Amino acid sequence: MSQSTTQTAQGIPQEIERFNITFRIQHILMFTTFLLLSFTGWGLKYAHEPQGVASWWIRVWGGAETAGLIHRVAGLTMLADFIWHVIYLAYLFATKQMTINLKTTVIPLPKDIFDIIKNYLYFLGLSKEKAMYGKYSYAQKFDYWAVFWGMFIIGFSGFALAFPMLITPIVPKFVSGWIWEVLSIMHSDEALLAIVFILFWHFYNEHLKPENFPMSWLWITGRMSIDTLKHHHPIEYEMLFPEEAKTEKKH
Amino acid sequence: MPYKKRLHAFAPLLLLSCFLIPVSGFAQQQESANCLACHSSMKGRIKTTGGAVIELQVNAERFAGSVHAALACTDCHMKYADNPHTSPSGAVPQPVLAIASKISAKHPVDPVAAAACAKCHPDIYAKVLDSVHGRNITDRRQTDGALCIDCHGSAHYIVPVKNPQAKMSRKHQVETCGACHGDKKIIEKYKLEENVMDSFQESFHGRKLHLGHTRAPVCASCHGAHDIKTKNDPTSPVFGNNRLQTCGKCHKGANEKFIPAITHKRPGPIPHYTEKGLMLLVIGVFAFIISHVLLEAFSDIRDAIFKKGREE
Repeated sequence: MSQSTTQTAQGIPQEIERFNITFRIQHILMFTTFLLLSFTGWGLKYAHEPQGVASWWIRVWGGAETAGLIHRVAGLTMLADFIWHVIYLAYLFATKQMTINLKTTVIPLPKDIFDIIKNYLYFLGLSKEKAMYGKYSYAQKFDYWAVFWGMFIIGFSGFALAFPMLITPIVPKFVSGWIWEVLSIMHSDEALLAIVFILFWHFYNEHLKPENFPMSWLWITGRMSIDTLKHHHPIEYEMLFPEEAKTEKKH
Repeated sequence: MPYKKRLHAFAPLLLLSCFLIPVSGFAQQQESANCLACHSSMKGRIKTTGGAVIELQVNAERFAGSVHAALACTDCHMKYADNPHTSPSGAVPQPVLAIASKISAKHPVDPVAAAACAKCHPDIYAKVLDSVHGRNITDRRQTDGALCIDCHGSAHYIVPVKNPQAKMSRKHQVETCGACHGDKKIIEKYKLEENVMDSFQESFHGRKLHLGHTRAPVCASCHGAHDIKTKNDPTSPVFGNNRLQTCGKCHKGANEKFIPAITHKRPGPIPHYTEKGLMLLVIGVFAFIISHVLLEAFSDIRDAIFKKGREE
């Protein structure tokens, strides 16, 4: 990702751009459609229990027809957003605006496994050191790839369930006896996983954690202060500002 | 006539209770009011010598609110034209009598009244008698199968199907059919599909219906109503490729790969194990994220208290 930086008098910027406007818009589209899909889908998944609650909840969303329409429109928007993201990434790679660097990549690496083990040991008081991250911690990588998993499993199955006649031409005859059941199981179970994942993982890491409460404003500004960068992404900081990092270490 | 005998056995009881209320003379043509004078205040049930249990009470208020309120009692209970009815002797049209003899096993007390629906609804009654429900009663002489009042409720209180109170309304139809199709004894006896109620409730159709979707299907939307067939009957709307049309009523362009989507059968092994596999994944991920979040939060609290392991 391009790192446009505002230089200060000292030669080191006060903050760096972490997500450009395109990524920010993609994220906003992703979470608004995610919330709409969760709210309307929950009512359908738990339509019968507890008694009457789902019926009331769906009425809040304008009744079953309207909630269904919201769900479909939000789902298509999310899919479009995902496709836009993938095409945009391809464009960034093609134009060399983005290259793979092990310190900044969001691709999972063996280091992430070691980071997880290190942190668990720290949590349990068995180690005095927390893991040090590059541009993305394993928590952030998990967050990112969870969306990919969700889009493939929930997004595809949702599209198939919403527009069955469009996909029947590519459905082989021998799977048609069970594929619809499998699609609805995939959609429903993985949606539950996605919702709980966001509720625990994303909400804790990006909202409830003392250092982020009530939220990290990065999703609007796209910018991260150098202090935060130094503190939470030391490996990236070292890579971006090797001189400063060196002199600071000497102190 | 066997009815005559049976009625003789309990008629004195009726007579006794009627003495409590002044009744007008023994006119040939009885008005509903005359019958209701006794029957609206009578309480409880009576067992005939034949073993059938009949409800004595007719709720006058509910009867007045039904679609049949304008009918006289004797329009259906044709045989009981005398008052009080000592001998079933009224004249009965031949078509009704023919039906009555076919359904007498199901309605032993007053088969004529149960057949009388055909006076006004002859086409529908003919369809019913030809359906799997009807044949069960006429050919197999079963008593626990469905006929008019089993689905629509008593003819005394029947309301339009658009009225949510109706037993066949969108609101109540599924539970009405479920009274038999969710009944273990009946399912076993007739070898019916055993997971009908649960599979419908679990399906998108059932969920949407429950949530108030106005176009979600009820039982009759797919299976038909009065002319209902078994699923093995080639003329059934849910038999084989007949579903192309049936599903196509709502799902434009329904094709052979789409129609197996809805079934009342239990999920096969592939969906079953897909679900098990996905649940395993879900539980695995939950275990990781919940333990991570909780442990991290505790370690933050620990660090805040003991200032241990903190950067300066």
